[in-house]
Order: sequence, then C-alpha cells, then structure tokens
Amino acid sequence: MKNNKFRIISGIFIFVIISLFLLLKSYNKPHKDIRTSKADLTLNAEYLLNQFLEDEDAASKKYADNIILLKGEVFEISTHDGNSVITLKNQYSDASIICQLIPEDNINALKLKKGQNVTIKGICSGFLLDVIMVRCIIVK
Amino acid sequence: MNKFYFILFTVLFVNQTFSQDKYLTKNGFVSFFSHSLVEDIRADNNQVLSIIDTKTGQIAIQLLMKSFFFKKALMQEHFNENYVESYKYPKAKFKGEIINFTSLNEDINETEIKGILSLHGEEKEISTIAIVDIQNKEIKVTGEFTVEVADFNIKIPSVVINNIAKTIKISFELHHKPYSK
Repeated sequence: MKNNKFRIISGIFIFVIISLFLLLKSYNKPHKDIRTSKADLTLNAEYLLNQFLEDEDAASKKYADNIILLKGEVFEISTHDGNSVITLKNQYSDASIICQLIPEDNINALKLKKGQNVTIKGICSGFLLDVIMVRCIIVK
Repeated sequence: MNKFYFILFTVLFVNQTFSQDKYLTKNGFVSFFSHSLVEDIRADNNQVLSIIDTKTGQIAIQLLMKSFFFKKALMQEHFNENYVESYKYPKAKFKGEIINFTSLNEDINETEIKGILSLHGEEKEISTIAIVDIQNKEIKVTGEFTVEVADFNIKIPSVVINNIAKTIKISFELHHKPYSK
C-alpha cells in the first residue's frame, strides 16, 4: 500500500517538475533567429511597396509578421541611436521601405553604397509613411 | 528710419527661425514600462513617425504596434495577439498640440502637450509636460506620461493579472529634422 502511494506521489512530482521546466522554456523562448530562419516570401522592394500603396489594410494582413527576403536598391544608410537603418527606394515613389538591422549586423551596413542592389531579410511590421521592416540582416 | 524699425521689430518678435514649416522623424523612440511585484515588462519602438507643424505647434505621431520589441518573444506574441490585438488595430496614434509652441524660444523649453491618443480602437485625451528643445536644424521632444490599461479596453487575462501593471508608463524621445517633400 505504502509503496503504491509513494510511486503515485513521485509520479505526480516528476510530472509537475517536467511541466514547470517546459513552461519555463516556453516562457523564455528566444526570438526567431533571423539568420537561420527561412524566409516566408521573396519579393522585390518595388512590388511590396506597391502592394501597400494600393491597399494598405490588405497588404498589412498579408505581409505583416512574415519573414521577407527583399531585393531592392539602397537609397540611404543611416544610424539612429546605435541602430542601423537601410532605406530602399526607387525613383518613382515618395515612399520607401525602411529596414532596421539587428545590432549584430550594423557592421555590414557600413559596406553598403547608395544605389547598390541589395538583398535584405527581415520581418515586416506594416506601413506608416513607408513600409517598415524590423530585425533585418543584409543577405547579399 | 522706417526700414530700421521694421528690422528691429522682426528681430525682437520672431523667436524662432525654422528652415521648413514641417519637422519630421521616422525613427522616433517610444517605450512603455510596466512594473509589478511579479515582473517588470518593457518594450521599445524605434520606428515612430512624428511630424510637427512649426506654424501651429500641431504634432501628429504614429507608430506600429508590431514594431514594439520585447526581450521575451512570448511576451511580444501575447502583447500583439491578446492584449492590443495588433492584427485588428495595427497602429497607435497621437494627434495634438504643443501648447504655446510659436512663442517658445530656440532653447530647451518645458511646455504642455495636449491631444488625443488612439490605441486599441479607443481614444483618450492625454495631457503631459514635455521638454521641447528647439534648434534651427532639430526639434527634440522628450517626456513621459502614464496611461491606464483599462482606459483602452485592453483585457488582461486573470492568469497574468499580477504580472502586468494597471498603469503603464510611456516614455518618448523624438528628434525631428526639417522636412521638405
């Protein structure tokens, strides 16, 4: 009798420990590693921009939170408070795509030149005056 | 003589000279902070859009909820999916006025900013004191204020009711530069 009780209690105890461990792991799970994550979509900067300019709501629902491999022309490289920002833009529109790099990739931003074609991987947040991409890295 | 008086008048009564009517930033900083006994939560947004009309002192601020970065990925998920429902309400907006902006000097000023904050489909009038640092080439607006989570219809599940404060502190730092289309 006592043996059974002991087994049941230790069984429950182990179950609780494992559950807590898994819960803690889930709670502390890190952000997706942008370098190793596979892109959901590969797009031209111009195309993505037009999608948002045509129908912002629809584009937001379609593209926000997606990891996008973006190809476009560098219009501007700047830093704000330690964050590097690459702006992709073509000559036809006022709006652009603003890509904020992860801090680890800041050093790669220095190698870029205005007018250069670049491929950037990042997560789309949505649109304000421009399309906004966060957690970006320079792929090529 | 008339010309002299005219120039004197202009110099005495024009406190600021702005190179453009509108000053803008696309990299404004807004962060919010929740303190509770269980844990402190903080998130930063570095893609805040803000425009000041120097002729009227009107200020318009917009940001994407999805651009708020939390250290804990799970928290960011819950924030977007459950609390602010960013798929339904992707942006937060503030439309208001920097009180007495046109009579501020090219200096570090302390003044009131008053306006309407739209968040999670709700609107609330906000008034706060802010530091407005006016230079010819840059207008910096800095400050902080608090909001009640309940005012914006944000529902916190009872499971985590002790993890999230009822009053959240919001800090902002916006460096506006001259904007010409």
